[in-house]
Amino acid sequence: MEVLKVENVSKSFDEVHAVKDVSFTIETGKIYGLLGPNGAGKTTTIRMIMNIIMPDSGKVTLFGQSMCDELKPKIGYLPEERGVYPKMKVRHFLKFLGELHDMASAELDKKIDYWLKRFEIATMNYFKVEELSKGNQQKVQLIGSFLHDPQLIILDEPFSGLDPVNVNLVKEIILDFKKQDKALILSTHMMEAAEKICDHVYLINKGQKVLDGPIDEIQTQYGHNSMQLEYKGDGQVIKDLPIVTNFNDFGNFVEIQLKEGTTVNDLLKELINKIEIYRLQAKRSTLNEIFISLVKGGEQDA
Amino acid sequence: MRKIITIIKREYKEAVFKKSFLILTLLMPVLMIGMAVLPSLLVMMETKKPFRVHVIDQAGWVFEPLRQSLNDTLKTGKPKFVLSRIDFEQKNLNELLNQQKELIKAEQIDVLLVIPKNIDSISVADLYARNVGDFDMVSRFKNTLSTLVSNHRLLASGLEPELINKLIKPVKLETTKVMRGRKESKGGFMSEYMTTFVFIFIIYFTIIIYATAIMRGIIQEKNSRIVETILSGTNARQYMTGKILGQGAVGITQYAIWVGVGLALVFASGKFLPVRSFTISPTTFLYFILFYILGYFLYSTLYAAIGAMVNSEQEAQSLVTPLVFLLVIPLVMIGMIVKDPNSTVVTTLSLIPFFSPIIMFARINLANPPVIQIVLSIALLILTIAVLIWLVAKIFRVGILMYGKRPTFPEIIRWIKY
Repeated sequence: MEVLKVENVSKSFDEVHAVKDVSFTIETGKIYGLLGPNGAGKTTTIRMIMNIIMPDSGKVTLFGQSMCDELKPKIGYLPEERGVYPKMKVRHFLKFLGELHDMASAELDKKIDYWLKRFEIATMNYFKVEELSKGNQQKVQLIGSFLHDPQLIILDEPFSGLDPVNVNLVKEIILDFKKQDKALILSTHMMEAAEKICDHVYLINKGQKVLDGPIDEIQTQYGHNSMQLEYKGDGQVIKDLPIVTNFNDFGNFVEIQLKEGTTVNDLLKELINKIEIYRLQAKRSTLNEIFISLVKGGEQDA
Repeated sequence: MRKIITIIKREYKEAVFKKSFLILTLLMPVLMIGMAVLPSLLVMMETKKPFRVHVIDQAGWVFEPLRQSLNDTLKTGKPKFVLSRIDFEQKNLNELLNQQKELIKAEQIDVLLVIPKNIDSISVADLYARNVGDFDMVSRFKNTLSTLVSNHRLLASGLEPELINKLIKPVKLETTKVMRGRKESKGGFMSEYMTTFVFIFIIYFTIIIYATAIMRGIIQEKNSRIVETILSGTNARQYMTGKILGQGAVGITQYAIWVGVGLALVFASGKFLPVRSFTISPTTFLYFILFYILGYFLYSTLYAAIGAMVNSEQEAQSLVTPLVFLLVIPLVMIGMIVKDPNSTVVTTLSLIPFFSPIIMFARINLANPPVIQIVLSIALLILTIAVLIWLVAKIFRVGILMYGKRPTFPEIIRWIKY
């Protein structure tokens, strides 16, 4: 079921196009990765979804309604620039956030208890927020963003600042939400994490959407001709081959990409008499590589 | 609306349970009482010791009448001035003077009075003391000597001093204020000035305190990056309104405490406080509340906008200065307002929204301005506040999420269009 529809939104600040003509849809039961380098326009896009800033043009539709302030409580939003009220007690802070999201008091208490327990910080109920460690403060902020049980959850860099144990905990919770048929948008730089849990990826660069598709499709589309090679001899020979489009020397091994339509066999035929091969492994590109190649490609275009 | 209340509640609780609130709440009455009680305390602690006065009377006739005239007594019933005549004939006058001055330095005596031989014609006498700043003492000597000398001259001219004094007795003017819808009240410039000044000073002072608190709060929340989290559930206008109303409620709480404490003190020890000079009618008091609230809204909205625009309190300083200036102008003009509350300048300023909270209130207290003017100034004030809130909410919405360099004026204009 379609939850959110972003249609051709654009936003510019003082002649700088922060977001240009971006469109996408978000459906229930799926996790979406909103990826892109720093300054690509991810946060601006999310702020427009949240009605915190107004798009210059384009339209945001949430649950079939045009986005407005009254719909804000239906979204759970963890901003990238997130803060706390340092002097408030953890519980009071969460209650405040819950009330801002239209929650009734009785229901709120139950939810706070549940989430504090789930995040293993139940003992810190009446600590001042400033007395908590950075990681625990982040847990409080996370709780604040889904306390009101929203159908759409937008998390901007949810893993930054968490240790591996807690990264796993947050991942579990995100997957739980997926099982509950909620829609999630993760905006992150951590490609490995995105790769593992996202179903669908939107890649934004320089304010424009440059990639849009289910993660499997993207990996097959962009990653079938990539391989790692360990060898002895003159690496220049490999680099000079006309069928090699990309050559990346890592010291212990090289990573290469072949021209479309060529196979590993073609490569071996070319190399077999020239260098000594120790190991050859065909691999799928990681999201990271796709990301970098697309972003760099974009720069060459510009 | 519910969200605004949520924000007001949070704002209110945080401010009221802060130590600084408690301190200010307790300290202000102490200060005010101090200011009110101190003068009467000082009078009560008036010098208990008598003044020891040496008189070198070269004219010869001054000492005796002077001693009789200076018959003031201390609280203890003892005479305040103890005069003794110093013989000077055997000695060189300069030598005698130096010797007497040494006595003053050694605190053997307090005052040395030197009356010249021809005081009738030159009208000058010399007074030496360790503290010539004691205004009461100096003027007591001056007035007594003046009377004595002029009486002496009158006698010498063959006139009867008593008769002359009767004939040239000055007229005393009793002033009574008569205004429409007001009880007649006795009081002069000073009492008018004081009452007006106290009330407009309260308006000025509290507007600055609470508007600054709002600005500071917004800067802090901007720096702690909490704003975006709040905006995930509300909008910028609700956030701004909540903060302004929350701080306003804090201010009213503080007032209520002060007024309560003040009333209790007046009942407990009325004689210390100069209550009589503070007479103010209930209508005027209602106007005071009204103008205070409107002035508060006007300025706190502007302070909120500044808070949204800057990144630190230092940056805010230069923007706040013009606002403080606007608030100070009426204070500087207080003398002019009291003197002629209906002059064209004062009337015009009392209609301009940035000055009207203070100046129109002062005029209401002093001059009963035409109702149409009062209504006009209130209407203009409300209109300005409405326009400002609309405008500032737009600046706020953009500014609150801008970090980094302070925006220039043209940038702010552009924000309004976003």
